[in-house]
Amino acid sequence: MVKEIVVEPVTRLEGHGGLRIVLGDDGKVKDAQFNITSTRFFEKFCEGRYAEHVPRITPRICGICPIPHHLTPTKAVEDAWGVEIPEPARKLRILLQNAKQYSSHVLHFYALAAPDFLLGPFADPALRNVVHVINKMPDVGAMALKMMDFGQKLCAEIGGKSVHPISAIVGGMKKPMDEDARDKFLKQVGEQIEFTKKTVEIGLKVVEDYWDVVANVAVVPTYYLGMTKNGVHDIYEGDIRIVTPNGEKKDFDIHKYLDVLGEHIPEHSYATHMYYKPAGYPDGIYRANCLAMINAADKMATPLADEALKAFRDKTGPISHHTFAYHWARLIETVEAIEIIATLLKDPDVVNPDCKTLDVEPREGNGVGVTEAPRGLLLYNIWSDAAGICKKLNLLVATNHNIAGIEKTLMHTAKQVFEDKALDGLKLPDPWIK
Amino acid sequence: MAVKVAFMQCSDCWGCHQSLLNAHLGLLPVLPALDIVYWPAVVDFKHDSLKARPDGDILVGFVEGSLRTNEDVENAKLMRAKCQLIISFGSCSCYGNVHGLANQWDIQKVINRKFVETESITNESPHEPKEHMPGFTEKIMPLDEVIKVDAYIAGCPPKPEAIISSVVFLLGQKPQPMNDLAFCNECPLNTEGCLLDKGVMCFGPITSSGCTLKCTSNGDPCVGCFGPSKTVASRAEKLNGMVKNLSTISTGNKKNLFEFLTLFLNVPLMAGFDLAGDVLKQIKKRGAPESPLANLPPTTEDIASSIMAYLRDNRDFTEISNVCDTCPRIIGSKSRMTKVKRDYEGLPNMDDCLIEQGYICMGPVTKAGCGGLCLRVNAPCSGCYGQTEWVADQASRFADVVIKGFNVDVSKEELLSQVKDHLGTFQKFTLASNRSYKGGE
Ligand code: SF4
Ligand code: SF4
Repeated sequence: MVKEIVVEPVTRLEGHGGLRIVLGDDGKVKDAQFNITSTRFFEKFCEGRYAEHVPRITPRICGICPIPHHLTPTKAVEDAWGVEIPEPARKLRILLQNAKQYSSHVLHFYALAAPDFLLGPFADPALRNVVHVINKMPDVGAMALKMMDFGQKLCAEIGGKSVHPISAIVGGMKKPMDEDARDKFLKQVGEQIEFTKKTVEIGLKVVEDYWDVVANVAVVPTYYLGMTKNGVHDIYEGDIRIVTPNGEKKDFDIHKYLDVLGEHIPEHSYATHMYYKPAGYPDGIYRANCLAMINAADKMATPLADEALKAFRDKTGPISHHTFAYHWARLIETVEAIEIIATLLKDPDVVNPDCKTLDVEPREGNGVGVTEAPRGLLLYNIWSDAAGICKKLNLLVATNHNIAGIEKTLMHTAKQVFEDKALDGLKLPDPWIK
Repeated sequence: MAVKVAFMQCSDCWGCHQSLLNAHLGLLPVLPALDIVYWPAVVDFKHDSLKARPDGDILVGFVEGSLRTNEDVENAKLMRAKCQLIISFGSCSCYGNVHGLANQWDIQKVINRKFVETESITNESPHEPKEHMPGFTEKIMPLDEVIKVDAYIAGCPPKPEAIISSVVFLLGQKPQPMNDLAFCNECPLNTEGCLLDKGVMCFGPITSSGCTLKCTSNGDPCVGCFGPSKTVASRAEKLNGMVKNLSTISTGNKKNLFEFLTLFLNVPLMAGFDLAGDVLKQIKKRGAPESPLANLPPTTEDIASSIMAYLRDNRDFTEISNVCDTCPRIIGSKSRMTKVKRDYEGLPNMDDCLIEQGYICMGPVTKAGCGGLCLRVNAPCSGCYGQTEWVADQASRFADVVIKGFNVDVSKEELLSQVKDHLGTFQKFTLASNRSYKGGE
């Protein structure tokens, strides 16, 4: 008899989805699907809008990473209209992007991922959540909340709102940071660096505890999609970088994305499957997000993060296919984010009122903008007419880049679990919270 | 006893949840009062566990997101069956939000853009995915198009404070008193020049002493940001007299009252929290404050509850206030609109009203609640809290309001013809809830 295992909905996920695994009579895994059941068609209803309004609409694609969805289309319109922004605006945007990276990565680690590790995967589902973690480990909980709070408040300060920011405009930023506010954040940043170090310690301890799982479950060779600037990890600007399963790195100009990134529409998901076009579908399926970024980077942009990267490479080798190493990779990026925040808060440009060029004129053209959102590469391609109306929009959204990769990982892991009974002999540590 | 609550998400961005989580430490005192029985974004409960509950088992259900798929519609109905009170949570659920702009086109055209025509698609014959997929609704719908809604918390996203205080309010909890004595006792105007004697609604008699700001020393009334005191001052009776006559309240006193509600009672009426229909009965059933002022001298709670009772029965009262009321900019400034500017043009100054500087700002026709967030970073309001009045032609209403009340040197016709994208400018967040809109550009 064919058996279908359905997990519905997938919880602690930003979006709507279910998992479906089909087992045949022979106990073999026949199919593994990741069904994303909702989509809202931003690429259609942005048509006819003022191009400069698109960045005020698209943050609603994702309330967790609205900042990249504000900055990236702004960059795409600037590309289409040939607008150069002043340096202070660029720095403010980088600060904003990193503030988001910081709070989102901390949220992901503590609220979405940590409950599994700290309570153990077999804990009562009713307790396996961040609320319970806060109750049982109040110190860690309070620290996590303070970290998220710092990041979100910094986003709100620069972006106007932390969820759905409004301060970027084609040509720069509407306003620099106020000096008082900058001073306030500058005072707190030292404590945040300490918190980050503690979080890394917790993370490394978890990795060590679970090494048997990390090294043996869901180790899936795929391609990776990331962004680097001259080979250095960068989340605001750079080239598209593809890493092949055996670790070869290839760089592409963002305007050539259609040659590199293909989109396959599956039968069973509203989120499309992305792949590396030259390798074809499904062979070219890649993964994105922090592990991909870490695999892509020759080095990190800041010293502490670069040390953390070296420690990671020592353990996993030059390329890591370990799905559970995503959590570790995310921590390396968190370190980089707080270091960049600390540096930029000291830079006088973030309070410099020269943050918007007056030289902005719409023109007909097709512009591309790319950033690295906390969940993966984000690409906007906007077609503007001569009056600056958005005629067409193509969007390659961060989470989308991972759907095919997740499904591939799911298939691989389902086989490990149901066919090879790989979980049976696995060493699991005692949970921190019992 | 903890109260059962559930959170459901329809098609949206997760931002309302992020906003709720942004309350961070503010959440901690509220959590013990809640028994969260369904919250897929955070807690590992599966859909079947919700289905298995008896009808009406859950007290409060928050439904986030607009209705875009058939699954959304099913989930909305499921929540209505299982929850006694349904709260439309966030502007997607209240108004449909930006994705409502998709209602301009036939759904097939919309589907084709994404699944057939997209430049990066490589399938040989691409089409809409169907296997295990719910299918799309003809139109984006706000929640109350499909089920009865008891209360609305608007905003994209709603402010965290508003969410928390709505929860506290719905659970019938009251603010905790601070110090023994009321602020009157340390007010510089206590012996001479009391604002209440001058007819200004000042909340000093019921507000805790111990604050250092002392608004009354600048001639401004106390609006209670320090929270309630344990005992009330004798002038409470005078305040009570004013509160009893809210129907004749002056504009200045209305403003004081709103600040009081937000700061003292933590009641987010200012934050787009509207109550509809029977929710009042439900709250009464759980023993929340009743309206008549039985005790004399009145207690803090008497005064608070009589205000609440009035507001519940007079919903229009909450709608008098718009984003301009909370905007720091000057209306009647030295600037004048001589032509409509696009947002990328120039860079406005931080002092003058944006409309008077030539930009289209939806402040005057948008419900108050956010505290004027966008204006403070020099960006015009785009209306995410929803409009103050529900008329069919929002563009025309906007032009009328602006020409009447602002330094504007263009005619209504000029203004409307200079704006090229009417739907995206005037109904960016609310198109789906405009019942007279039938599609088309
Ligand atoms: S129109 Fe806009 S800028 Fe002007 S006062 Fe109102 S909210 Fe403020
Ligand atoms: S100013 Fe307008 S668009 Fe901005 S948050 Fe407030 S209501 Fe929403």
